[in-house]
Amino acid sequence: MNTSIPAISIQGLTKDFAVTLRGVKLRAVDDLSLQVEEGQVFGLLGPNGSGKSTTIKIILGLLEATVGEVKVFGVPSHQVESRRNVGYLPEAPYFYRYLSGYELVRFYARVCGVPKAQLKARVDDVIDWVGLSQAANRRVGTYSKGMLQRIGLAQALVHDPKLIVLDEPTAGVDPVGSAEMCELILKLKRQGKTVLITSHLLAQIEDVCDRVAILDHGKLMVEGSLLELVGQRDRQALIVDPLPASDIEALREWLASRGHVLNAIEQPRARLDQLFLSKISRAGHLGGNPGVGSNVVPKSSVPKSSSSAPSFTPKA
Amino acid sequence: MSAVSVPFSFNRLALIASNTFLEAVRQRLFNFLLLLAIGLVASAQFFRDFNFGSSELKFIADFGFGALIFFGSALTITATAQLFFSEIENRTALTLLAKPIWRAEFVFGKFLGVFSVIGVFCALTIGLMMALLWHREGQLMAANPEAFEAGRIMRYGDLFMVGVLQWLKFGVLSAIVLLIASFSNTNLYTVVTGFFALVICHLQYLARDSWGNVDSLILRSVVRLLSFVFPNFQLFNLSDEIGQGAGLDPMLAGRVALYAVVYIAVIGGLAVYSFRNREI
Ligand SMILES: Nc1ncnc2c1ncn2[C@@H]1O[C@H](COP(=O)(O)OP(=O)(O)OP(=O)(O)O)[C@@H](O)[C@H]1O
Ligand SMILES: [Mg+2]
Repeated sequence: MNTSIPAISIQGLTKDFAVTLRGVKLRAVDDLSLQVEEGQVFGLLGPNGSGKSTTIKIILGLLEATVGEVKVFGVPSHQVESRRNVGYLPEAPYFYRYLSGYELVRFYARVCGVPKAQLKARVDDVIDWVGLSQAANRRVGTYSKGMLQRIGLAQALVHDPKLIVLDEPTAGVDPVGSAEMCELILKLKRQGKTVLITSHLLAQIEDVCDRVAILDHGKLMVEGSLLELVGQRDRQALIVDPLPASDIEALREWLASRGHVLNAIEQPRARLDQLFLSKISRAGHLGGNPGVGSNVVPKSSVPKSSSSAPSFTPKA
Repeated sequence: MSAVSVPFSFNRLALIASNTFLEAVRQRLFNFLLLLAIGLVASAQFFRDFNFGSSELKFIADFGFGALIFFGSALTITATAQLFFSEIENRTALTLLAKPIWRAEFVFGKFLGVFSVIGVFCALTIGLMMALLWHREGQLMAANPEAFEAGRIMRYGDLFMVGVLQWLKFGVLSAIVLLIASFSNTNLYTVVTGFFALVICHLQYLARDSWGNVDSLILRSVVRLLSFVFPNFQLFNLSDEIGQGAGLDPMLAGRVALYAVVYIAVIGGLAVYSFRNREI
C-alpha cells in the first residue's frame, strides 16, 4: 500500500458561511492546515462552535471549501471517488426511522456496493460488533440515543473503509458504551485503519489518540502527538503506602541530600468512570453486550430471590 | 485527472427510489391513498340515479378524471416535498451523501420513488373507476339492450391511456417540485411555490391564446417564453376525446407522452444542477 499519501490532507482551508442576507459572513474554519497519516488515530478537539464538524463535512464533500484544498487519499474531497474508502458517523446521528436496524445497515451496505454474496455476513458482523444484535429487528425510530450512535457506527463500518470519521461518537453514550467505543477504535487502529475523531470527553481522547489538534474559532491552536503535548518528562510520580509525617520529612531530607525536590504529596483517587465501570455488571467488551435495549421482561416475572440467597454454603 | 472510477449507477438510483417508496409505505401514506381513491369513486355512485344512459357513463368518467387530476396534483406536490425534506430535515441526507454516490443518483432516485407512489395512486383510482364503469355499463346494457347493439361503448383502453398520460403529467409536476426543493430551505415554501407552478402550468395556454397575438412584441415574447419554460398541462387533458367519439389518437398520445418525458429529463437535470452545490 502506498503509505506516502496521507489519509487526509488539508491545506489552507477556510470556510465562510453567509449568515445574513446582507452578506455578513461567518468564518467557521480559518486557514487550517492539517495532515492525518494513514494508520493514525487523530483527535480533533475544540470548544463548541470551533469548526470541527464543519471541517469534517468538508472532508466528506458535504460542504464546499471557500478557500483551500482538502484531499482524501490524494483525491480532492469534492469528487465522488474520494468517498469510496470512507465511513462517516455524523454528530447526533439520525436515521430512517421506518427501517429496522438490520434493514438500515443493509441499505447502506448496498449503497456502498458491498457484493451480494457477502452482504448478509457483513451486516450481521458489524451489527454484532457494535452490540446491537438483540435490537437489530426493531425499528430505528424506537432506538435510544446511545443505540443510534451504535447503529451509526455499524453503518460507517459496513463496507470496510480505510478511513473512519467519527463526529462525537460518544455523545449520549453511557460510560460503559464509551469505554467499548474506545476499545473498538483501538481495534480499528490495530487493523491498520485511520480514524479521525472529535469529542469533548478529553480523557477518552487521551486514551485512544496518537495525535490531536485543537481548534478555536476555526483556527488551529496546536497540533502534535500526545506525548509531545502532554507528557511531562521532567517529572515522575511514586505511589507508596501511607507514610507518617516524620518519614515524609526524612524522605524529603534524603532527596535533598541527593539534589532532588519533593514537589507534591497527594492522595491518589480512582477515577469516577473506573468506579462506574467496576460497579456495572455488563461485560466490558464489544460484541458480547446483551444489555443494549434487551431488558426483556420475563414471561413469568417471579421476583428473583436476592443474590444473598446462594451465599449459604454448606460446610461439610 | 483520472477517469471516473465511481461511475453513475442505476443500481444505487433504484435503491434510493425503493427506499423512498418504502418510506411512503411504512408511513402509512398508502392507507390514506386507498381511502381517498375509494371515496372518490364511491362518490361517483351518487350520480347513478340520473340514469342518463350512455351519457351517464361519460359523466362518471369525467368525474373520475377530475378527481384524479385534483387530488393527484395535491398529492404529487405534497408527497414530493415531504419525501425530499424528510431526508434533509432528519439529516439522513448527511449520511447518505457522504457515501460514494452522485447527487444525480439522489435526485433522480427521489424522483423515481415519488413517481412510483403517484403511479400507485393513479392505478388505484383509474382501476376502481374502470371497475365501476364496467359494472354500470353492464346494468345499463341489461336495462336498455337496443342502445348497446354494438356491444360496450366505453373504450377502456383509452381510459387507461389517459390515466397513464395523467401519471406522466404528475411526473413533470414532481420534477418541478424537486427543482424548487433543491434550492429551497423549507417544506412549506416548496409546497406553496409548487402550487403556484401548477396553476401556471394549467393556465398558461390561456395567456398564450389571449396575449400571444397582441401587437406588442415584448408582451408577445414574454408570453412565448413563459409557455416554453412552463409545460402546458392542458395538453394532457385528452379525456374529452374518449367515450363516444372517434377515440384517442395513439399518435397524439405518444407525442404528449414524449413531451412529458422531455420535460421530466430537462427539469430533473436542472434540479440536479441546482442540488449539486447545495450545502447539506
Ligand atoms: N450551515 C451553516 N450556516 C451558517 N453557519 C454555520 C453552519 N454550520 C455551522 N455554522 C457555524 O460555524 C461554526 C462552526 O460550527 P461547527 O458545527 O463546525 O462547530 P463544532 O466545532 O462542531 O461545534 P460542536 O462542538 O458544538 O459540535 C459555528 O459558529 C456555527 O454556528
Ligand atoms: Mg460539531
